[in-house]
Amino acid sequence: MWLASKIKQVVLALKPGTVTLKYPAEPRPAPKNFRGQPVWDHTKCIGCAGCADHCPARTILLRDICQDLRVLLYDGARCMYCGRCADLCPEKAIVMSPDFELATGDRNDVTQSLELFMLTCNRCGRCFDMEIKNAIDKLGLRGYRYDSLEARTVLRRTTDRLAPEVLDETGTFRRPEKIGG
Amino acid sequence: MRYFIPLINIIIFLVLAPLFEGVLRKLTAKIQSRQGPPLVQPYYDLLKLFGKENLNSAGTWPFKFAPLLAFAAILTVTAVIPFGGRAGFLAGGLDAILVIYLLTLGGAAVLFGALAGRNTFGLIGASREMVTMIMVEPLLAMTLILGAVKIKSLSLAAAMPAAAGASYGVSTVLMLVVYLLALQAFVARQPFDIAEAEVELLEGPFIEYSGPNYALFKYAMMLKQMFYAWLFVSVFIPVLQTGIYLLDIVLQLLAMLAVFLLIGLVGSTNPRMRIDQAVRYYAVLIVLALAAVGLGVKGL
Amino acid sequence: MAGLLTKAAAKAFPKSLWLYHCNSGACNGCDIEILNVLTPYYDVERFGMKLVGSPRHADVMLLSGAVTRPTLPLVKRAYEAMPGPKLVFGIGSCAAGGGCWFDTYNVSGGGAAAVPVDYLIPGCPPRPEAIIFGVALALGLVEQKASPVELKQVEFPIDAYLRNKAWEERNVIYRLLKD
Repeated sequence: MWLASKIKQVVLALKPGTVTLKYPAEPRPAPKNFRGQPVWDHTKCIGCAGCADHCPARTILLRDICQDLRVLLYDGARCMYCGRCADLCPEKAIVMSPDFELATGDRNDVTQSLELFMLTCNRCGRCFDMEIKNAIDKLGLRGYRYDSLEARTVLRRTTDRLAPEVLDETGTFRRPEKIGG
Repeated sequence: MRYFIPLINIIIFLVLAPLFEGVLRKLTAKIQSRQGPPLVQPYYDLLKLFGKENLNSAGTWPFKFAPLLAFAAILTVTAVIPFGGRAGFLAGGLDAILVIYLLTLGGAAVLFGALAGRNTFGLIGASREMVTMIMVEPLLAMTLILGAVKIKSLSLAAAMPAAAGASYGVSTVLMLVVYLLALQAFVARQPFDIAEAEVELLEGPFIEYSGPNYALFKYAMMLKQMFYAWLFVSVFIPVLQTGIYLLDIVLQLLAMLAVFLLIGLVGSTNPRMRIDQAVRYYAVLIVLALAAVGLGVKGL
Repeated sequence: MAGLLTKAAAKAFPKSLWLYHCNSGACNGCDIEILNVLTPYYDVERFGMKLVGSPRHADVMLLSGAVTRPTLPLVKRAYEAMPGPKLVFGIGSCAAGGGCWFDTYNVSGGGAAAVPVDYLIPGCPPRPEAIIFGVALALGLVEQKASPVELKQVEFPIDAYLRNKAWEERNVIYRLLKD
C-alpha cells in the first residue's frame, strides 16, 4: 500500500543524517593534480614569452619597458586554468598551484606581474629570438614587444631595437568598441 | 476580556506564522539530508522583502491593491475565529459563512493580482489557481457546514468546538479523513502546489511582484497555512478544552505544530500532480464530503 | 518607525539572499556547478539563500557565460527587472572577462559589458567550494585570499653592469675602440 512505501521512504531518507560539508568553517583541499591558479617563479623565468604566445585566452602579456627590463603580466580573470603555459615553459617556472579560492570584487586582485631582467648581448645589443611554433604567430613578434598592459591586449607590433615612440603609443592604446558596448 | 481577544489572536498569528513556515523548511531540509536554513529564516525573508524597492511593473492600481486585499482578508479571519476556545466580541454577530467568504476573497485577490500583472506565466498560474479554488473551497465549506448541522446553528463561536464536543459520529470521522487528504491542497504544498510557488511556471501568479507587495502575499500565505492547521485542531480534536485560556492556547499551538510536521512530511516525499489528475482527486473528495454531510444530517 | 523598519531590513538583507540564475550563452559547465552548490553536499541554503525563478523576486543575479551578442539586451533587461539593492556574481572565467572567447565575433566581452559585476569567481568551471567561498566573501564570513603579486628579478643598480664597466677599463682593446 502506498502509505507503507511512503513511511519506508521517510525512514530511508533519515538514515544518512546530515551530509552537508561545513565548508567555509573547515578547509577542503583540492585533489592531487588539480589545476588551480598558475604561479610564476621569478628566479627561473627567462622571459622567452612561450607562455604568452600559447595562452588561449591571451591572458599573459609582455612588454619591454626599456632595453633591459621586460614586464610580464598575468591577468587571472580570463584564465581558463588549462595549464598550457605550465606545460610549455622550458625552465619549469610556472606551476599550477591547487589554489581555487580566488573570488574577489576587483579584477586586479588576481594578477601577477614579473619584472624580468634581459641581459643584453655584448656584441649586437639583443640577440634573442623567441621560439614560436604557431604559424600565425611567426608572422611577427621578433624583437621588442609592445603589448598594451593597460588595456590588457596583445598588439602585433615589434621593432628590432627599443623604440620609445612605439612604446608611448601603446601606453594609450584603447580597444575598439564592441557591438552593444 | 472579550474585547481583547481579536487583538491577541492577531498578534499570535502574526508572530508565529513565519516560525511555523521555518519549521516546514527545516523539516524538508532534514528529509533531504542537508542542514537547511535556521528556523527563523522566514522572518529574515520578510524583513528583507520589506526593504526592497517597490516596483509597480503593471502601473495600474489593482496591482498594488491585490496584496493588501489578500492580507486584510486573512487577517480579518484570524481576528474573528475563537482561538483557544474563547470567542471574542466580534464573533457574536458573525457566522461560518463569513469565514468561507473571506477565504474565497483572499484567493480571489491572488487572482486579481496575477491578472493585473499581464504576464503569460501569471495567466497560466491564475487559471490553475482558479480551478483549484473551485474544487477545494467546497471541501472547506462542507467542514464548517457539518459543524453547523450538528448543533443546528451557523454561529461561529459554537460551530467549531461543538462539532468535536457534540456526538463524534461516523460523519465526523469521514470528514476528518477527507480534511486530512485535502490538507495539502488547502495549504498549497506538494503534491498540490500546482498554482503558486511552482518552478515550472516561474512562481505562477506572483511572478511580477517584488519587494513589499510580495512580502504581503507571502505573509498572507503563511497565515493561511496556520489557519488551516488551527481549523483541523479545533474541529476534529476534542480533548483540548481545559478551560484555562492560556493553557488552551499552548495546547492548540502544540497540536498545530504536530499538524505542520505532518504537512512537512507529506510535502517533501511527494511529487507534484498535474492539474487534471488533481481535479479527479478533488472530485472524489467532494463526493466523500457530501456523503459525510448527508450522514450528519441523518444524525449519525 | 519607518527608519526602524529600513534598518531592520538592511540587517536582514545578507541573511536571506535570493538567487536568480542567468545563463548568457555559457557551455553549461558553470550552470552544473551552480546546481551542485544547491545539493545537500554543499548546501547553500544554510546561509538562507534560495533559488527563485523570476528576476523580480531575486537579490543576486548569478551570471554565467560570456555574454553573447543575442543575449546582451536580455541580460540587461533581466538586470533592470531586479528591484532594489542587488548584486551580480560573475561565475566562471567567461562571465569574469570573456574567457578565451573575449575577442571573438559573437561575444561582447564578459559580464562587465552588460551589467556591473560585483564579485567574480574565476574558474573553468569553478569548484563548488570556490563558489561557496565567493558567496561567503560577499556575506563577510571569510577574508579575501587573492591579492596582486609583483615580483622582480633584479634591483637597480645592476651588479653585472658595474662589473662589466671595470672589465672595460681594464681591457686595452675597448680603450682603443673608444678613440
